[in-house]
Amino acid sequence: MLDWLPENVSTFGEGVDHLFHVIYYISVAIFILVNVIYVAFIIRYRRKRKGDKAYHYHGYNLLEVSWTALPLALFLFLALYSDRVWQDIRYSEKTPNPDLVVEVMGQQYLWHFRYPGSDGVFGRKHIRFISTTNPFGIDPDDPAGRDDLLTVNSMHIPVNKTVLVRLSSMDVIHSFFLPNMRVKQDAVPGQWIDVWFNSVKTGEYEIACAELCGSGHYLMRAVLDVHSQNEFDQWIDEQHENVRASIAAAGAAPDNATLAAQPDDRQSPTE
Amino acid sequence: MEAAVNTVRHEHGEGHTHSESFIRRYIFSTDHKMIAKQFMITAIIFLFIGGAFALFIRWQLAYPGEPIPVIGTMLPSTWVNADGAVTAEWYTQLLTMHGTIMIFAVIIPLLVGTFGNFAIPLMIGADDMAFPVLNMVSFWLFPLASIIMMAGFFVEGGMAAAGWTGYAPLSVIASLGQTLWIVALFLIGFSSILGAVNYITTVLNMRAPGMKMFDLPMTVWSVFITAIIIIIGTPVLAAALSMLFMDNFLQTSFFMPENLTVTGRDMSRTAGGGQPLLWQHLFWFYSHPAVYIMILPGMGVVSDVLATFSRKPLYGYMAMVFAIIAIAFLGILVWGHHMFQSGMNPLLGTTFMVSTMVIAVPSAIKTFNWLGTMWRGQMEFTTPMLNAVAFVSMFVIGGLSGIFMASTPVDVFIHDTYFIVGHIHYVLFGGSLFAVFAGLYYWFPKMSGRMYNERLGKWHFWMTFITFNGTFFPMHILGVGGMMRRIYDPTVYDFLKPFQPMNEFITINAMILGFVQFILVFNFAYSWFYGKKAKRNPWRANSLEWQAPSPPPHGNFDKEVRVYRGPYEFSSPESVQDYLPQNVSPEELAAQWTRHEQRRAQQKSEP
Ligand code: HEM
Ligand SMILES: [Cu+2]
Ligand SMILES: [Cu+2]
Repeated sequence: MLDWLPENVSTFGEGVDHLFHVIYYISVAIFILVNVIYVAFIIRYRRKRKGDKAYHYHGYNLLEVSWTALPLALFLFLALYSDRVWQDIRYSEKTPNPDLVVEVMGQQYLWHFRYPGSDGVFGRKHIRFISTTNPFGIDPDDPAGRDDLLTVNSMHIPVNKTVLVRLSSMDVIHSFFLPNMRVKQDAVPGQWIDVWFNSVKTGEYEIACAELCGSGHYLMRAVLDVHSQNEFDQWIDEQHENVRASIAAAGAAPDNATLAAQPDDRQSPTE
Repeated sequence: MEAAVNTVRHEHGEGHTHSESFIRRYIFSTDHKMIAKQFMITAIIFLFIGGAFALFIRWQLAYPGEPIPVIGTMLPSTWVNADGAVTAEWYTQLLTMHGTIMIFAVIIPLLVGTFGNFAIPLMIGADDMAFPVLNMVSFWLFPLASIIMMAGFFVEGGMAAAGWTGYAPLSVIASLGQTLWIVALFLIGFSSILGAVNYITTVLNMRAPGMKMFDLPMTVWSVFITAIIIIIGTPVLAAALSMLFMDNFLQTSFFMPENLTVTGRDMSRTAGGGQPLLWQHLFWFYSHPAVYIMILPGMGVVSDVLATFSRKPLYGYMAMVFAIIAIAFLGILVWGHHMFQSGMNPLLGTTFMVSTMVIAVPSAIKTFNWLGTMWRGQMEFTTPMLNAVAFVSMFVIGGLSGIFMASTPVDVFIHDTYFIVGHIHYVLFGGSLFAVFAGLYYWFPKMSGRMYNERLGKWHFWMTFITFNGTFFPMHILGVGGMMRRIYDPTVYDFLKPFQPMNEFITINAMILGFVQFILVFNFAYSWFYGKKAKRNPWRANSLEWQAPSPPPHGNFDKEVRVYRGPYEFSSPESVQDYLPQNVSPEELAAQWTRHEQRRAQQKSEP
């Protein structure tokens, strides 16, 4: 059954899949064991003759204790065993130092992505500035925010690098789902949530929304492009160039107008 | 009590008071058995409504965008597009209402409302509930709430569309249908609490003389514990719903942060400062215990049915009782397992993973004890028994899939996929609904005074069992493949396209599954009037309900009942036959033996 899993291309995905397999085999074993006994009983202990009495027996305490203790031990083991992987992928103190930080903002029904501009830093942001034309709430007074790179439904990352996604939503709860990376994290309005991954293989992968967010929920699809480092550098330079050009085109216009105008033509340049 | 029975008959005879007595007897009845039937009939109607919704959903998933066959073009234009295909808006309403109806208007009313009402007084030897009028109010709140909820059909924007879980802020920025949903759930919660107070009082105070708590059949124990869970959990739901109502109506912001920005909607009157996750915590604090509200009574019914038809004492009665109590207690500590990916602190993920793993233990204990009950039995495979046997096996699958989801790293992948949908249906259909079927067939003779048709019962069981598995097992595979739940069209995603044949397979099974339920309705409707007359104790069972006439009159018992032993003395060497009812006194038992010896002696003396 587990052959149906989408290809895993993330570093920690192997750990997740390993656990998946362990629990799967244990479950199948328990299922077969219980049902073989069950079916055997059904066949063996069906009434064969009218009037026969069954075995009058109320139970055996030692058996009760053992079939309490054994599952308890097994399930606690599974919990502890799972927790190692869980800590590795989610505990903040175990998060590796990111090579790239991307901010992701959910909106009915699309995903916004934000990269630092050519200055290498994100502009300041505040929830108060969020609007349909400024999805990340970039502070218009911060010059560092002016060249930030924004894309829609299109995410680009380099291969073999730790990517930290900083996730939020501007309207309802969405869920950022990368099947091939074994990543799923809800995007909650009013809250920034970090989640990281590291892809070991280049290629094009799908991003989905996994939390019901309205009738267009199913349309909330984005594409993740995993490039080699060179390709990625090339891509991001190109994008920075475009941003600079559009700022220049806005010319002498005052800062605020530039900022407001920029996310408006937010077609992802690659598409 | 005799007097009450007589009055009813008398009024019938007189003619002119007939209409009034009809209303008192069949509509605003305070008789627990009539109220049980009212719950049953209302819930079965909703089973078909909820089922129809599911079939529309399944049609769309198997054949995205294709017109609904036959009736597609007859449906209103707010539901279907010009071709007669389900629209995305209606789809979202359907999935919301399917979940809400099945949980709040089908499973809970059947297990708690129907069986709780019917079985408790009869099984403890009481003449009615402690508070009969409260009981009537508890029932009538339920159709009232259902009508309010269904009224969403006719208002602008349609029915609620935020899923049965109603996650804020989606449920806040919603249409009037969502508000109706909130009001309806609030009333249903109220109805539950009234019922629960009644059950607890009745079980504690109205047991027949001689009946100790540990003489109670598992059905009564489980409904009793369920009632306690209801009392603990439902007020929290009520609080959460009140806040959601205010967020919807009074522009408060319990669940909304500052400056929520929704395309096409003016949010300027919302101050913000709230927390969307608060809703989830409150909702699941109720709704995880609620999943046990939906399974514990089923486990009780199945325990009784398995013991009766295995002709054996329930294995490990005390362990079974304490397992239920443990489930109820632990059930309050695991709500966070629905929120592993919600953005709550990952440390809490660890905590809730451990508590969730622990709660699987009592379920395992119960399963082993059911096996123990069948061991060296004399099993009789009547329709209730078949359904009970299926329950155990299906519940094992549902419990095991729970373990996958309890493991936080695995849940990262399968959360909000069809794996969850598979899990839900193995516990709620494979579990709860099979238990409902088992209970309905089991008590049908007592309820109606007639036997159902065994052949039709078996057809219904086998068809349901096969198509149930055909429908829901493949959903686990869809989930492993990553198919998100609640999506209108999976073919939007490339990685889901290969699953289309499986989606078609599921839909075909689901349709058959839906239609074979008419066998049940036909069987019951026909047998209710034309079935073979039922004896008092057709299953040769021990608990007290079988000592009352079939159907029991108002006031239940025609003789005084006194309890001398537990409900599971099957095949006891002490008894002449292979069962020994709870109310047979030692003197009567001795007399039975004497008669038995005499008969034996007679047989011997005859050549
Ligand atoms: C062995 C015992 C069980 C375990 C370990 C377990 C575990 C879980 C977990 C971890 C989830 C959350 C999955 C997710 O959303 O990612 C879940 C969901 C659910 N469970 Fe269980 N479960 C068990 C038994 C039951 C039973 C007995 C019922 C009901 C009769 C039930 C009904 C549900 C429902 C309705 C949901 C889905 C709620 C939703 O998101 O719509 N579960 N279960
Ligand atoms: Cu979304
Ligand atoms: Cu739960």
